[in-house]
Amino acid sequence: MEHAFKPEQITKKYFTPWVIVLAAIAINGLVFLAMRFFFGIGSVTNLNNQFPWGIWIAIDVGAGVALAAGGFTTAALGHIMHRDKYEAIIRPALLTAMLGYTFVAMGVFVDLGRWYYIWHPLVMWNGNSALFEVGICVMIYVSVLYIEFLPIVTERFIGRVNLPGLFKRFNLLVDGLLRKLERGLDKTMFIFIIAGVVLSCLHQSSLGTLMVIAGPKIHPLWQTPVLPLLFLLSAISVGFPMVIMESITASKSFGLKPETDVLSSLSKFVAPLLGIYLAAKIGDMFIRETFVYLYEFNTTTVLFAIELVVGVIIPLRMFLSEAVRNSVTGLYVASMLVIFGVVMNRFNNFITAYNPPYATEAYFPSIGEISVTIGFVALEILIYRLFVKIFPIISLPIRNFGTKAKYAIRGGLK
Amino acid sequence: MKKLIYLILLGFLISSSFAQKKISKLHSKQNLECSTCHACEIPTKTNPCLALCPREKGNVTAHKVGDAPEVFEINNIQGEKDIYGSVNFLHKAHAEMSEMGEGCTACHHYNPPGEIVKCSNCHETDRNKVDIQMPDLKSAYHRQCMDCHSKWEEESKCENCHTLNDNYKSAISPTEIVKVYKLVEHPATKVYETGECKRGKVATFHHNDHIELFGLECVDCHQDESCQSCHNQKLDFKKTVDGSNHSRCVSCHDTENKNQCAKCHTDKETKPFNHFANTGFDINKYHSKNTCNSCHTKKGSYKGLNSQCQSCHTWDEENFNHTITGLKLDENHIDNSCSDCHEDEDGNLSYKKPLCTNCHDEDEGFVVPKNLPGKKVK
Amino acid sequence: MSQNRRDFLKTFAAIGTTAATLTAVSPKVAKASSRGELSVDRNGVLVDTTTCIGCGKCEWACKTAHHIEPGNIEDYSTKLTDGSQRRPSEDALTVVNQIDKSVMNSDKVKLQCMHCDHPACVSACIVGAIKKQENGAVTWDTDVCIGCRYCMIACPFQIPAFEYHKALDPKIAKCDFCYDRTQEGKLPACAEICPVGALTYGTREELVIEAKRRIEKNPEKYHDHVFGEHEVGGTSWLYLAENSLVETVFPKLGTNPAPGVSESIQHGLFAYFVPPVALYALLGGVMWLSKTKENEGGH
Repeated sequence: MEHAFKPEQITKKYFTPWVIVLAAIAINGLVFLAMRFFFGIGSVTNLNNQFPWGIWIAIDVGAGVALAAGGFTTAALGHIMHRDKYEAIIRPALLTAMLGYTFVAMGVFVDLGRWYYIWHPLVMWNGNSALFEVGICVMIYVSVLYIEFLPIVTERFIGRVNLPGLFKRFNLLVDGLLRKLERGLDKTMFIFIIAGVVLSCLHQSSLGTLMVIAGPKIHPLWQTPVLPLLFLLSAISVGFPMVIMESITASKSFGLKPETDVLSSLSKFVAPLLGIYLAAKIGDMFIRETFVYLYEFNTTTVLFAIELVVGVIIPLRMFLSEAVRNSVTGLYVASMLVIFGVVMNRFNNFITAYNPPYATEAYFPSIGEISVTIGFVALEILIYRLFVKIFPIISLPIRNFGTKAKYAIRGGLK
Repeated sequence: MKKLIYLILLGFLISSSFAQKKISKLHSKQNLECSTCHACEIPTKTNPCLALCPREKGNVTAHKVGDAPEVFEINNIQGEKDIYGSVNFLHKAHAEMSEMGEGCTACHHYNPPGEIVKCSNCHETDRNKVDIQMPDLKSAYHRQCMDCHSKWEEESKCENCHTLNDNYKSAISPTEIVKVYKLVEHPATKVYETGECKRGKVATFHHNDHIELFGLECVDCHQDESCQSCHNQKLDFKKTVDGSNHSRCVSCHDTENKNQCAKCHTDKETKPFNHFANTGFDINKYHSKNTCNSCHTKKGSYKGLNSQCQSCHTWDEENFNHTITGLKLDENHIDNSCSDCHEDEDGNLSYKKPLCTNCHDEDEGFVVPKNLPGKKVK
Repeated sequence: MSQNRRDFLKTFAAIGTTAATLTAVSPKVAKASSRGELSVDRNGVLVDTTTCIGCGKCEWACKTAHHIEPGNIEDYSTKLTDGSQRRPSEDALTVVNQIDKSVMNSDKVKLQCMHCDHPACVSACIVGAIKKQENGAVTWDTDVCIGCRYCMIACPFQIPAFEYHKALDPKIAKCDFCYDRTQEGKLPACAEICPVGALTYGTREELVIEAKRRIEKNPEKYHDHVFGEHEVGGTSWLYLAENSLVETVFPKLGTNPAPGVSESIQHGLFAYFVPPVALYALLGGVMWLSKTKENEGGH
């Protein structure tokens, strides 16, 4: 069992009709992005002095960070608690987290009015700012994720360094360096892994602190001093569903058999985690007596209800059922619902709940904003697909069981 | 030399202390509360501890409205940027209007007996000052103006009083000051409904008659008015009349005498006063410029008078100037005696228009001239 | 994971030392608080909305002082008459609105940054580009700001504006209390030009006393409340008005400083870096323990 799976490069063709569709969406997003850089944020977005933050922050950053939580939750499970059974899903989760955070950083970069000063928080500190905390943690965590990814790079290239043309003579040298790097990383990796988990906990919660300072501008259904805790709990509970969803999608896409065994045992963790989150959210609601707002019937309360019922309660019930946990479709739907719930929660927190005192009309994202956000998602999927072709990420069943072939396997499935 | 300086100084000292004494003597004679102007219990000469901005009615005894200076040029305040030129303040016009309201004290809110206190005596010109309680001179001036003007001017347009200096002018800038005031319109006739009364449902008030016919000044009726009761044309004038409805009339009409009620309180709207229609004596021709009292000399009594000229005029053959009738007699007629022409059939004097045929009798062979016996004048 | 246990311990110790050093250093970082000492002499402005005539000169002077094209000086008095409730923006750092257009002579309210004593924007700013100056002004530093617009989210009065339509060097725009002018001993441009002296500039302490004096002297003219005395922990700009300004002009706000809760959470999570270090230690412990188990199981 232990060595039945091995991460390998995927050899399937890169371009499929779906990939081309995704590429079109990505290019559309990039066009709007170019406009943003040439004509200013105002030319592409519906942002104004009343609504300074739109979906680039709510979805690209807020939801993006939450959905990349798969990285640290699986790392905690696999590396820190040493549940080796889940080794197979750590790499895809790591790649998702790495790409996810890269795109979070991109999202921030795009949304910053003075993007060329994005490095300022590194040297200009304001310890009181929740955003500073988020910013600095994300910056460090992205670096940590890249470091965590490095062993995969070394694994891919050690013994296979093949530089083009003139650089051929450096092949040996580079190979040596890679080997050295691998040894060094191997010894210190646990530092980064623990750091990654700590940093994640910190900024996932601080992301929740962000809107606390807006005070009465945030609808009381969301505004609570325990927002950081709710953000952290929801991020932890969306980590595994994200990994499950991704793993099933990848399997389908590459025509592999889904690792149902690993996924269904992983899904056992989801219900308790979601339960804790739900308990905290409902508990907070009753302590602050905000349920009175639910008697009102308007967009805000409807969105709150959707977030809570469709995004938390229904999937919680689904994950409690063994039948759902053992069926690929059930897992997929339930996971999707949790993901939807968290995205919804972040959207609500940053947008629905935000009621600036002098707004004359509500904010709705512009075509430009939506294009860029969807474009980024498409781009991320495309890069993911590219990475799994280049690097050994996705675990495949080993055909010749017992053959030790750490560096020798080329190609894998044909 | 030194002695001379000392002497002059001494002179100054004496004269100034004398002057002080004079004012303080006036002070004590006035019927004023000390606390109106002084903030502390025992004000001294060196520390008068004047109260801030005493708004109680001061005591402007210096002059009558008629003697008020016509125009003041206000040019002693200047901001950082020199945007506007100086302002010509029509002092007398405002003083006259203020007679209908608060009087001089509407603006001269702090004026102890003696000379009229200049605004700048108390209000500093420098705005960046330590004392934040008292407005600076610029604010004080503007507040005095705008407290009233803003009540009826919808837009606080600075250009209503100020002219822009050249470097702030634009293409649309007016070259002259826009008139601050609109001509105050008054109603020709006002019909008041006096619902509570048994008889006389309406009281018709002919405003025009009172000014034009009866020659009253605004201030004769309008007292205790605010600026906006006349200037704010949007306001219904009725609203500005106070509860006791007779208050404006009582200065001329005897409202206490029950027999007089029907004079104003009628069942139908009455027509404006017409001397001919009401009395049969046409005053439009010769007496239109007279006020009522110039003929009806007995105060409050407008009983019929003798319509003979002589009952008022002391004219005789010697001093009567025929020109005032509109006909300047020519050389041939000027020396006639009155009765030569103005004689009725019974041989009595009658000053109605005579007929030429009275003298120039056709039957007796005279030619009746076509011309008038003189020249028509206006 | 091929390292042995001694290695693990060694590295762990090293991390502990680093963390301890960080802990020792952290008080200095934590001290950069927006709740730092407030100068007793900090200045403010008392806005007497009953005195304001709505001439708009303050808007003109503000633009002139901040190098914003002011346009025609004669047009300003008409801006009130369209009845719109304008907001301070990147084109006009201050605006005057008439609250109730239907009442001809009703109060006119000048809006601009309130210059809070405990500004949410200062607390929020990721890079510390916004500062509460000693003289009371809350100022913004062009060279530091990254344009994240978190200050706009944080501001309880929704004041900071942003130049959305500039591709390069867009700025956060808000009243800076004419910091440059006041440093030279001049009055803020609006307070300098106001023809009726509706804006009184002075130390905040004196202004509060003066405001209360006015209310006491004219109780029928003023609503008995100095807006800004206690709102969000106090603001440098104070308002007197005939009617309550809450909910007609300003949002309903408590008396706690706006950044209060957020900062407590933030400082709670990072109290001398103890919670993060503790979490790190805990995870390290778990990792070590589970590894031991695994090793034992392997032997």
